[in-house]
Amino acid sequence: MPLLNVSPVDRLYETLPNLDDISIPARAPQPDGETEDTQAIAAAFGARILAAGLQHDLPFVHVAPADLRDLVTWLRDGELAYTTLIDITAVDLSELPDPDPDVRFQTVYLLRSLARHKALFIVCPLPGGDDAEAPSLAGQFPGAIWPEREVMDLMGIRFADHPDPRRILMPAAWPNHPLRKDVPLGGEDVPFSLTWDHPEFDGLGDQILDPESLPPDLPPGMNRQNMILNMGPHHPSTHGVLRLVVELDGERVVNVDPDLGYLHSGFEKTGEHRRYKDFVYYTDRMDYLSAMNNNLGYVLAVEGMLDLEIPARAQAIRVIMSEMQRIASHLFWLSTHVLDISGNGMSLLMYATRERERILDLFEMVCGARLTTSYIRIGGVWKDLPEAFLGALSEFCDLFPGRIDEYRDLVKDSPIWRTRLEGIGLVGREDALAMGLTGPMLRGSGVDWDLRRDQPYSGYEQYEFDVPTSDRGDGFGRYEIRMEEMRQSVRIIRQALDRLPDGLYRSDDRKVNPPPRTELDTSMESLIHHFKLFTEGFKVPPGMYYHGIEASKGELGFFIYSDGSGKPYRLHVRGPSFNNLYAISGMSRGLMLSDIITNIGSIDIVLGEVDR
Amino acid sequence: MPQLLIYLIQAVVLCLVVITGFAYLTWLERKLIARFQVRIGPNRAGPFGLLQPAADAVKAMFKEEYIPGHVDKFVYVLAPMLALAPALIVWAVIPIAKGVPAMGDVNIGFLWILAITGVESFGVILAGWSSNNNYSLLGALRSAAQMISYEIPLGLFLVSIAMLGGTFSLVELVETPRAPWEWIWIWIAFPFFFTSILAETNRSPFDLPETENELVAGFFTEYGGMKFSMFMMAEYINMITTSTVVSTLFFGGWQGPLADRYIWLGPVYLFIKVLALLFLFIWIRASISRPRFDQLMRFNWKFMIPAGLVYLTVSAVITVFLK
Repeated sequence: MPLLNVSPVDRLYETLPNLDDISIPARAPQPDGETEDTQAIAAAFGARILAAGLQHDLPFVHVAPADLRDLVTWLRDGELAYTTLIDITAVDLSELPDPDPDVRFQTVYLLRSLARHKALFIVCPLPGGDDAEAPSLAGQFPGAIWPEREVMDLMGIRFADHPDPRRILMPAAWPNHPLRKDVPLGGEDVPFSLTWDHPEFDGLGDQILDPESLPPDLPPGMNRQNMILNMGPHHPSTHGVLRLVVELDGERVVNVDPDLGYLHSGFEKTGEHRRYKDFVYYTDRMDYLSAMNNNLGYVLAVEGMLDLEIPARAQAIRVIMSEMQRIASHLFWLSTHVLDISGNGMSLLMYATRERERILDLFEMVCGARLTTSYIRIGGVWKDLPEAFLGALSEFCDLFPGRIDEYRDLVKDSPIWRTRLEGIGLVGREDALAMGLTGPMLRGSGVDWDLRRDQPYSGYEQYEFDVPTSDRGDGFGRYEIRMEEMRQSVRIIRQALDRLPDGLYRSDDRKVNPPPRTELDTSMESLIHHFKLFTEGFKVPPGMYYHGIEASKGELGFFIYSDGSGKPYRLHVRGPSFNNLYAISGMSRGLMLSDIITNIGSIDIVLGEVDR
Repeated sequence: MPQLLIYLIQAVVLCLVVITGFAYLTWLERKLIARFQVRIGPNRAGPFGLLQPAADAVKAMFKEEYIPGHVDKFVYVLAPMLALAPALIVWAVIPIAKGVPAMGDVNIGFLWILAITGVESFGVILAGWSSNNNYSLLGALRSAAQMISYEIPLGLFLVSIAMLGGTFSLVELVETPRAPWEWIWIWIAFPFFFTSILAETNRSPFDLPETENELVAGFFTEYGGMKFSMFMMAEYINMITTSTVVSTLFFGGWQGPLADRYIWLGPVYLFIKVLALLFLFIWIRASISRPRFDQLMRFNWKFMIPAGLVYLTVSAVITVFLK
């Protein structure tokens, strides 16, 4: 039997470009070069643009905070049509060389033009030192409200005119802003109390909104208040530890206020203290229902910074894994969604679990793990596919479409199921764009956008598949989309299986991937590479980079600020569930209590990813 | 005095039989639901898991009787009893063999059923109220609205059937001879009646007072141990009781081939019919989605009650002109 691990003997040991001649740490270089868009922006704004150009092939525009709102409004409404705000993050520059005491923070915005398939990054250096203030974009994009709260909470940047300036992930009384560089990784005092006198408990069950539904003239002596229901963090249907403060008038929902952070694990802070290759294992734990997709998103971001060439076989394996994971994630969504909505869900839960088990068995076959796979690694995948895998997978592909029909037959034409979903959780097209929704939430509102097709990565351009959309904007539309996505995933897997190329399953770049074990006994150079990789890891050229993939729940993006060392200087995760969950209040207002549950299921959240 | 003693013995025996029935109904449901869901179900305690109910009973009895600090203690303890008692009391008037009612033949058997099932909702409502918990309260409110609403179609169909039979006594009703067309007319009411029964017993898909997905556990969120078990007992005994009532009203109760001659065959036929209906209960639970609460109420007021009124009217016409 041939050794699967062996790579060609005549290898070129090249070093990564431009890494030997920089001092570490280094600041991200100023963008250079230009694109049509940066030219247009520079032409329109002139000297108000601090810098514009490309960095790692991504367009960046630097602008002062005073001009940010003008620029964003112009980009949104003008010809460039950057209609969606995908992400907001911030970088604490204080530990980089030549720190400017006045400009400690910079915020980074990612805008996307869905019509023109373009992305644009706006970098906004904030004056004011430790007490920086940025303009809030909540007026331009409602979807900025939560990401800005997150930046405010974790980085301690104030946002002027923010409509809801509360902390979002950390408790209100938390003493520091954890992502600041002067906050150590662990070891700080944790304010925590079990006594009810603690101020943390003061706000429990408060009215979160003026009850508009209060009847204007009550008889004297009568007093009516809306009921406040704390759904969660321990509740059967909040998919983890989400707490929803729900204000009810009878069973009618007056308002919903999600309270996040119960599963906040500080992945971003942890990532800043791990070498690049060691963070792959953490990504599994974010959206623990689609670990392969998380792996893929992260490694693509790092590989993009390294300009690493990935062998065709590795890319095809990644696509197969990613699509299998999408099916597994959608199966879990379907089963829990049906369970949440209806009593018979237990049956469908078991049926869908039966198929999900098969996928997890296949994962186990390739990497030994079922849930936290860590299979997709920087430079390729961990190991080549075992021989039995391809047969087992194509058997699954033959079986699965029939099973999808079976699920559909169980629910789709049931009048009860339809009345529970039709017209529930409406999100209009414009709202979906403004809130920065992605994935099935966006496609369910009639926006035809899928990163796999529109900004292909990992060789997705070679596969033929449809992107289902629905103009309904309600829970039923999203249900149909996810069901169809499972079929399309099977289609992609079949194509990938048919033309799975031979060759390397991971890059043979010895600066990134360790040499095979067999080589260590004979080659001194391999031994050195092995030693260097496992003691200090590889270094990544300085700069900012972002890569987004179409995960099962929407756009999963990783933003990396590299200072040229072996660890990311700043690592930010754009979790799709986080941005999608923002829609819950608007979707649920005016509906019944049961519809909140429908909406949570319809958004398809995983709290590990929301809280990160 | 001896008569009283006989009643007492009858009552104790009946309770024991029904409670054993409850225990094995839970076993049956778990087994059946497991088969519907490609699982195996309980199989550890005894052969085929047959001792599982005993294990559960022991577990429930030895649990600490914990009463949360924020509840209204008296009502909180009273509520499970109020829920359980009516489920058992209904049994008194049900005929189990030719001329043999479970306890005694009263000439207002129908009204007895209606009256006692009306009391059942008190247990649920009081449980939700005394728990001092928002989920419980919402569950209780749902339960109150649902049970009261669905009692109307239930009553309408019961009255229609009593009218057709010309008697209020269940014992006499079973023995009333009927023409085949009359049976068909009665069976038309069965789906409606059974739907009302599902809502009345808070069974899936109408288990909105205790929807775990919205209300955690609804009206018994704050209950545990034996008191929780009593609610479960009430639910399952209600299933048995209503199945018995339904088989008495629609399928001739104890009647079957040779049941007239051999009285002991009566309970056997009744048991088989009840088992079939219980299977229907469980089957529905495994396969039909739960509606939203307002949809449930709309269904009742806009469909069930008009249907009941129409059925009642036609039955009245039939009774007057055709019988």
